[in-house]
Amino acid sequence: MSDSEKWAWWALGVVLLTIGAYAAFLLFIGHGPATASVFALLALTALPASSRRYFRGRTFDEREREIANKALRAGCGAVWLVFIGLVLAIGFVKGWDATLVLPVWNLAETLWWAAVVVVGVEAVTTLILSRGGAHA
Amino acid sequence: MRSHQTVIANQIRRLRFENGEMTQDQLAKMAGVTRHTIMALEAGKYFPSLLLAFRIARAFGTPVERVFEYRETDCPPSS
Repeated sequence: MSDSEKWAWWALGVVLLTIGAYAAFLLFIGHGPATASVFALLALTALPASSRRYFRGRTFDEREREIANKALRAGCGAVWLVFIGLVLAIGFVKGWDATLVLPVWNLAETLWWAAVVVVGVEAVTTLILSRGGAHA
Repeated sequence: MRSHQTVIANQIRRLRFENGEMTQDQLAKMAGVTRHTIMALEAGKYFPSLLLAFRIARAFGTPVERVFEYRETDCPPSS
């Protein structure tokens, strides 16, 4: 398994752990600023050695770099799609002239969810491209 | 309508065995890539860049045309 695949499996696990912890918090304490604390789990993506490879002077080879670039584009594209989907859904449900009133912690949580989507999609794309080839 | 599929075939596996049964890891080190890239090349799952193609050819001490071959195949029309 390459370093990229190891990172991807680990990151996917961290994303699933974060989502699971968020669901548990929702169940026990309800939706509030405290539930955002689960996003600290995302820091675990920095834990494995494959995430700290740059500090050991090891960089991607050309295939891993191509896979990483495609995976990052897929992650950012997914966030963009989710954002457009949300805007459309809110527009159709609440009306295009409606006003949203959100607490500030909700906005911050939105950014964390975007990070979860980027890391999750990036990890899945890395695994798919690593197995199936990166020259398509 | 017929479409063309371009493939870059390679003789890496055969050349490795002909060059003192070189391992994928040894070839990877000589070419400056990971073993997984060599595996993907041999499986036809990855096409190398020009630089990598020349590095691999140099590792075998052979011209790049002996290692890689450009093929264009006709794909049958989809029904």
